[in-house]
Amino acid sequence: MTKKKRSIYLTLKRMFKWYLLAFVLICGAILVYCWYLSIQIDKRFSGRRWSIPSKVYSDTTILYPGQKINRTLLNEKLLRLGYREVDHKLVDKGELHRSASSIELYLHDFKVPSRYKEGVRVQIRFDGNRIESITNLNTGQLWPILELEPEEVGLFFGPHRERRQLVSIDQIPQHLIHAVLAAEDHRFYTHKGLDPKGILRAIYTNLRHVSIRQGGSTITQQLAKNYFLTPKRTFIRKLKELFMSLTIEMMYEKNEILEIYLNEIYLGQKASEAINGIGEASFFYFDKPVSKLSLDEAATLAGLIRGPNHYSPYVNKDRCRKRRNSVLNAMYEQGWISDEELKAALPLPVEAVGYASYGKKAPYFMDYLSDQLTVLYSPQDLSSLGLSIYTTLDTQVQLAAENALKRGLDSLEKSNPLLHRTDPQKQLQGAVIVMQPKTGYILAMVGGRNYSSSQFNRITQARRQPGSAFKPLVYLSGLDKFTPASLLSNEPKVYEVDGKEWKPQNYEPMVEERVRMRDALARSINLATVDLAMQVGIDQIITTVDKFGFSTPLKPYPSIALGSFEVIPLELARAYCPFAADGVLSYPLALKEVLDENDVVIERRHVSIKQVTTPEKAFIMSSLLQSVVDYGTASSLKMMGIDFPVAGKTGTTSDYRDAWFVGYTPDILALIWVGFDDGASIQASGSRAALPIWAELMNALPQYVSGGWFRMPPGVVKRVICSESGQLAVENRCPHPMEEYFLADHVPTDYCQIHGSGNSFGEIIDGITDFFHKY
Amino acid sequence: MGLQISFINIKLIVVSCILGFSMALSGCAPSVMQTQTNIYRETPQNNDELKEDTGKADINPRVLAALQLTEQGRIFLENNQPDDAIGILERALNLNPDNGKNYYYLAEAWLMKGNIDQAAEFNRLAEIYLKDDSEWLNRVILQKERIKERYQ
Repeated sequence: MTKKKRSIYLTLKRMFKWYLLAFVLICGAILVYCWYLSIQIDKRFSGRRWSIPSKVYSDTTILYPGQKINRTLLNEKLLRLGYREVDHKLVDKGELHRSASSIELYLHDFKVPSRYKEGVRVQIRFDGNRIESITNLNTGQLWPILELEPEEVGLFFGPHRERRQLVSIDQIPQHLIHAVLAAEDHRFYTHKGLDPKGILRAIYTNLRHVSIRQGGSTITQQLAKNYFLTPKRTFIRKLKELFMSLTIEMMYEKNEILEIYLNEIYLGQKASEAINGIGEASFFYFDKPVSKLSLDEAATLAGLIRGPNHYSPYVNKDRCRKRRNSVLNAMYEQGWISDEELKAALPLPVEAVGYASYGKKAPYFMDYLSDQLTVLYSPQDLSSLGLSIYTTLDTQVQLAAENALKRGLDSLEKSNPLLHRTDPQKQLQGAVIVMQPKTGYILAMVGGRNYSSSQFNRITQARRQPGSAFKPLVYLSGLDKFTPASLLSNEPKVYEVDGKEWKPQNYEPMVEERVRMRDALARSINLATVDLAMQVGIDQIITTVDKFGFSTPLKPYPSIALGSFEVIPLELARAYCPFAADGVLSYPLALKEVLDENDVVIERRHVSIKQVTTPEKAFIMSSLLQSVVDYGTASSLKMMGIDFPVAGKTGTTSDYRDAWFVGYTPDILALIWVGFDDGASIQASGSRAALPIWAELMNALPQYVSGGWFRMPPGVVKRVICSESGQLAVENRCPHPMEEYFLADHVPTDYCQIHGSGNSFGEIIDGITDFFHKY
Repeated sequence: MGLQISFINIKLIVVSCILGFSMALSGCAPSVMQTQTNIYRETPQNNDELKEDTGKADINPRVLAALQLTEQGRIFLENNQPDDAIGILERALNLNPDNGKNYYYLAEAWLMKGNIDQAAEFNRLAEIYLKDDSEWLNRVILQKERIKERYQ
């Protein structure tokens, strides 16, 4: 070897060593980088892949023959449940056909914790506003009850506000997979994450048109880009995308990659919420699971991937159809569909089902629920774990309550322009809560007039004086010593409270010096109520009230009798429940069940009850409170369309700062509050401001009105008394005898001393009659 | 010689690179996509006890509807599913608060769950509502005794 050759050889050798070293270093760097990427990918994929918002559902809706219903609210409910009107015979689940006297429904599958029923076709026939019959159209069988599925009320979103329903690759029909591959990456099953042919074709097409017409990204690249990288187009990002695609391909099977991709892709927008994944999109556009998608529907969805909003059938049907047909043609070119299938699918119109875009439903209720849920789950878990949260909410009641409050407050402002304030933060406010007294189920909660301008929940967060709405608890405390027939003093008296004089007054001047307990409550007479409270003892009242679960402090002042201590409206509503529930106090229930993403129940709440008074006293209280509606301060209810038995109490505080009405039947209880947040006068009483709202609410909810009343318990007896003396009536002597209820161990024994005196013969006869009556 | 060594080195490096790369990736076992498996039961069907009530000609449709739920609750109880039973019996209670059997079954469900206080509360209510039904009242009284035993 010559010296020159040897020199060249050494130089080449040296150069080779350097290149080799460089190659090894680059390989090492790539290796380390890919290793780093693999950790990232594994971390992301082996854990929870997506943030699935938790969904909140209302309770089921029960329909039965004979039930009175509000057909408008029912129709709205069905539309919210996703039923769509058709003018042909029912073919698919979710279809609805309406006629003047009936509704035909192809029910969705019914799925609630522990219960599942396949959807069938049913017919609901109406007789006016009453359900006449419910018939299973498949079998002709009459049904005694129909339970409609729970309604989605809201979602707990993460920062990206994504809706998603996961599907496994086994659930996805082959034609949908082919459609997606035809649209995006037809060599997916043959390449290794990169498709050089596709890239070259894209470059050629783009150069030919001097613009970006085509992307060469494979499905794996798109997945890497969507899942891990920013949308910014840079060389470095492209390089990262490449390495990541190769790494993903090495780590996962093709079907797994496709499954992740199909669950990941963005496919449209529902108001502020992003529709992600083929599972959610299938329902959003066609109201059916992916497994039921037809060829043309599958091609439509696949066509959306390129530009979900551009090609959306909700934006432009023609454009959507053209895109769908290009996907169908691509499928045909790949041999994935036959000539016949292509010809059959191409002329079909694009028929998306439509959707109702809605604002936040029952927002105050959702906040209340959220407070309870955040004790159990972090906000991050709620927005990512895909929980299903079942509640007690009845959306028909909720809407009726919202409407009634809005109309009531508008009407008040209209009748008294002084109440109208332009600043939404300072305007007249109101709140409504509707419960089922036996179970404490919260059916509806409206914490204010307008959630967007004020999120302060006046049902759960406000502390307001209840005024006369507190009186029933005082009267209940008195039932151990007094009876509904007992006479109370109605004379003005001066009391000393903390060294100061306190001189309660009646709402309006009265001539009677004494009034019966029933009348005193029915007419909300302050002086008689204070007299009762002082005779019962303030400490005794506080002992009684303490059982009713108020969290706000009560002080032993005589003014407690007139509701001078602040209460939380929810707790006041709850305190009325025992009157309607045999003396049983139930804990207000909003949350029923929480299911994880695999539909396994992970949290359950049941009705929790405790006895706070006897069924006998509860019955007598309901009877006393019925008088409030029959002839007392709430008697105007009858002129507002309320023709069924109701018990309730109005409340008005000093200077008309608060107006209340709490009314109930054995089936339902609703509390209404009206006032200003700053405590200004609303210049109207409870019966003027709150009562009409209650009436409007109940008139909208005939399904909750059975018209029944409470059964008289064995420990209660009925006697005829003289309405003037409150003592047992003397037949043919007392001019206004009336029936009254008594606790069996508190039955009056004395006969009327006003009309019965001087008629010993009559008394003897009555005594004998009474003796036989008793024994 | 040097060139030979270099080629061997290159081979070794490439092989080790591939091996290393594969090993690094093999540690990242692919995760399995979770599929949703829902296990549900068909809604329980009517039985004789319900038919006894529903057979009454003058029965109020609301009562009849509530009885369907009561019956579903009862069957959940038979299948040792007290939580499911309570959920549906509460609905039945809301629909027809006068049905004493609801209270009875609720007491049973709470007994099954071991909450004796709640069982006692519902038993007390059952007694109120079933006082005119001697057969059921007997069952309520027997239930009360069982509750008392559990208290001891």
